[in-house]
Amino acid sequence: MKGAARDGQMTAFRCSGLAKVYRSGETEVHALRGVDLVIPAGEILVLLGPSGSGKSTLLNILGGLDRPTSGTLLYGDRDLTAMDDAQLTRFRRAEVGFIFQFYNLIPSLTAEENVRLVTDIAERPMDAAAALGLVGLGDRRDHYPAQLSGGEQQRVAVARAIAKQPGVLLCDEPTGALDSGTGVRVLETLAQANRSLGTTVVIITHNVGIAAMAHRVFHFLDGSIARVEQNAAPIDPAEISW
Amino acid sequence: MVKALDRKLMRDLWRMRGQVLAIALVLAAASATFVLSLGVHRSLTETRDAYYAESAFADVFADMTRAPRSVVARVGAIPGVRRAEGSIRQYATLELPGSSAPARALVISLEDKERPALNRLTLRAGRFPDPGQPGEVIADEAFVETNGFPLGTRFETIIYGRRQSVKIVGIGLAPDYIYAIAPGDLIPDNSRFGIFWMNTKALEAATDRTGAITRIALTLERGASEAEVIRQLDTLLAPFGGTGAYGRTDHVSHAFLDNELMQLEAMTRVIPPVFLIVSTFLVYIVLGRMIQTERTLIGLLKAFGYSDRAVGWHYLKFALAIAALAIILGTLAGIWMGRGMTSLYAEYYRFPILRYHVSPAVILGAAGLAAAAAGFGALGGMRAAIRLSPAVAMAPPPPPVYRAGLIERLGRRADFSVIGHMIMRHIARWPGRSVMTAFGVALSMGLLFATMQFVDSSRTMLDSFFFRAQRYDLMVTFTEPRGQDAIFALAQLPGVMRVEPTRAVGVKLRSGNRTERTAIEATGDNPQLSARIDRDGREIALPTAGLMLSRQLADQLGVRAGGRVEVELLGGRRTQLLMPVASIVDEFVGARAYASAATLDALVRDASPVGAAMLRIDPAARQEVLNRLKDMPVVLGVSERDAALRLFERMIDDNLFTMLFFYIGFASAITVGVVYNSARILFSERAHELATLRVLGYHRSEVGIVLLGELALLVIAAVPLGCLIGFGMAQLMTAMFSSDLFRLPFAPARSTYGYAILIVLTAALATAAIVARRVLGLDMVRVLKGRE
Repeated sequence: MKGAARDGQMTAFRCSGLAKVYRSGETEVHALRGVDLVIPAGEILVLLGPSGSGKSTLLNILGGLDRPTSGTLLYGDRDLTAMDDAQLTRFRRAEVGFIFQFYNLIPSLTAEENVRLVTDIAERPMDAAAALGLVGLGDRRDHYPAQLSGGEQQRVAVARAIAKQPGVLLCDEPTGALDSGTGVRVLETLAQANRSLGTTVVIITHNVGIAAMAHRVFHFLDGSIARVEQNAAPIDPAEISW
Repeated sequence: MVKALDRKLMRDLWRMRGQVLAIALVLAAASATFVLSLGVHRSLTETRDAYYAESAFADVFADMTRAPRSVVARVGAIPGVRRAEGSIRQYATLELPGSSAPARALVISLEDKERPALNRLTLRAGRFPDPGQPGEVIADEAFVETNGFPLGTRFETIIYGRRQSVKIVGIGLAPDYIYAIAPGDLIPDNSRFGIFWMNTKALEAATDRTGAITRIALTLERGASEAEVIRQLDTLLAPFGGTGAYGRTDHVSHAFLDNELMQLEAMTRVIPPVFLIVSTFLVYIVLGRMIQTERTLIGLLKAFGYSDRAVGWHYLKFALAIAALAIILGTLAGIWMGRGMTSLYAEYYRFPILRYHVSPAVILGAAGLAAAAAGFGALGGMRAAIRLSPAVAMAPPPPPVYRAGLIERLGRRADFSVIGHMIMRHIARWPGRSVMTAFGVALSMGLLFATMQFVDSSRTMLDSFFFRAQRYDLMVTFTEPRGQDAIFALAQLPGVMRVEPTRAVGVKLRSGNRTERTAIEATGDNPQLSARIDRDGREIALPTAGLMLSRQLADQLGVRAGGRVEVELLGGRRTQLLMPVASIVDEFVGARAYASAATLDALVRDASPVGAAMLRIDPAARQEVLNRLKDMPVVLGVSERDAALRLFERMIDDNLFTMLFFYIGFASAITVGVVYNSARILFSERAHELATLRVLGYHRSEVGIVLLGELALLVIAAVPLGCLIGFGMAQLMTAMFSSDLFRLPFAPARSTYGYAILIVLTAALATAAIVARRVLGLDMVRVLKGRE
């Protein structure tokens, strides 16, 4: 079995035979072809692979944004494939923090208000100002996204994701649009959330260097997991060679 | 071969078909109302003018008690008179077969040579009366059709106090009775009032007027002064009991037709512009958004070598394509409705042929306006597209800059939720569009209100006139003015509960250089069967001395209470004297003058002060009272208040509600067009944000609030504005629809505001629901993959 959990460790996600077929017109695209996977809670995972290999599809399905065509997916002991739309929404609201390449901040809301979008509806949120403090933006809380740099915007997005104290952080190319210095700051924040809150962090990246900070690395190819690497000694993001 | 850019245009039109159709419907409403009102106006004007010319409708009319026929030649000799003709006119009471309702006819002499020179009769069926058969008549078409009388129908009449049997041998139409309304009525009652034409010899014999006439009609030479001819005519006819000559504007049939034409013209000027303004705005916002989303494409086109002009033309064509669709839809709808409206008119206005004929000029006018409105709306977007330089266009647009405005600061104090901030800031970020959206919905509501309040207006007039002012059941007119003994005689009839005299004396009122021909009306002291009611519903008592003028008449003469007018009695002695204007009454109907009976009697100084009598009767005895009145030789006619009331109500139901039905549809189209397009643009601008909220764990319903909340706020803001616009527009329209004949009251019921609001909110809600379904189908993953 690929990616088996260490004994005695809690499991965040457990999926088997996970497949996803997109139909566009008359062609079928097999985005995922039967993925079996266990993601232990509290780890940092990196998904590597070429474009179109199924990483983002898997991430979206894990986060309840999308549904598999077949297969089973458990979060803890909850069956995500059996949930209806409202239940998936509640699942995202309570457990999942998303971070995207292009931040997806609401341009009409200030940094703090963007974080409040989440704290207003979460079950056990931290204070919005405190979340911004964690990412080092305590002094920029009243700035609108247009007044922030790319790195700052991504840190607001991170603050927004961790403010609900989520069970998992799902990050799709979080540093893809950032320079190395800024990228490292963002990764440090993610690692810190993992350490201090015990949050499971899943990162999609094209940057192979980032794999060094992960407990596990999944190599994707053509809709399946080709290889799993375990990393006994993940390094600090600051030491990543970019 | 279709060029690639034109192929894109076709696909854009198809892709955005919802929005395109929503705009086209509003613009089509502009074309439709334009083609409808101007088309009907033109058809009616052209038909009337052709008919007037063909049938030699006279320019000036004069009635007198009796004059020798020789006077016609003297009238013909007045400078400026082209042709004059005399005739006899006599009211007759009818005993219609199978009906007990009081009916009467105006019998007009028909020249023996069969065709009179002026006001020529058009024979629709049957034949002209046989000179050897004195009882044969031609009856007017409306009367015959309404009563369902076949040719050959015979019935008894009382003409000039004599019983005479008549037979309908022909059906005719005449230009002076296109609108055949009995004197004093507000609306034609064709079942109870007819126009008959009888051979001159027969009518002379029946009315003891051998060699005499009671009316002169004449046409004028081109360029002749009507006022001068009238002045000379009055002098000439004074010895014969002339009651004052008058031109076409005071001719009842002509005046009613004119009133209708004026209302159609008012409609053309008010209603299509509302739709044009809204369409311009819709094209503006939709094209503006389209160019925003096609920035990169515009850059690409320019980089490929398309000129600024080609790019601008491409977007202008998009707007013109919408206009083309609207012109087709609107013209077809306008023609269809124009046909319907014309056939409605044909019931009231009798022409030999009244057909809705829409001229190319009207369609071209409608098309030109629609294209101009769409083109004007496209200007802003075109300019943006032309100005965009390729290098700038291909880079992503700068992010929108939001700022906390005044409302925001208030909102912060009011502790808005984050979603509330999103909504408010978005409204403030595009203030022009937000204001125009609210304004568009408000216009829709205003138009709804302004059209719907015509029902209130008519009902108020109805109530004021039939229930407050006229409290009698029957109005009995006499063949000639009588003494008080006539009142006593009526009071003796079984079933008559109360009788009050009334009289009207024809006068010319003069103030400065303004002259109005009217009648001074008087009732006895303490009248209970009639009252003068002002527009606030107050009863206004007759002044003990001097005249009381209706507001309309006072305005026409330019006099105020406390002023004086010169009064000239028409007919009989032509007394002239100055009288004080004691008060003005704000009435709805006509230009009228009133005085107390004592004042009028002193003015006229005659012994027979009763011109008509108002009766209140026991409803159970109605039939008996009517039968007895029929047998009284002094009675010329009886009119029943309830019958007139029913006719009026039927007219409101038939005409007004048909019109309302269309306008509710048109006005709702505005709301649908504005809300649909605003919602689609909002959705397109915010799809990314909405998807983000869904990812963050917001439910569909919560996300829907962001989209619909903004629309709801704008629609709610439109409500008070719509009430205000409706209030103003209704006042403008009632004023424009008022004429010498009616002064429409502005008396909207509160519920009318409610209905207008309800219809607009329903239309807005239904439209929003359609767009909201898109929120439900939002594909989070796909939206978030790309960058806004």
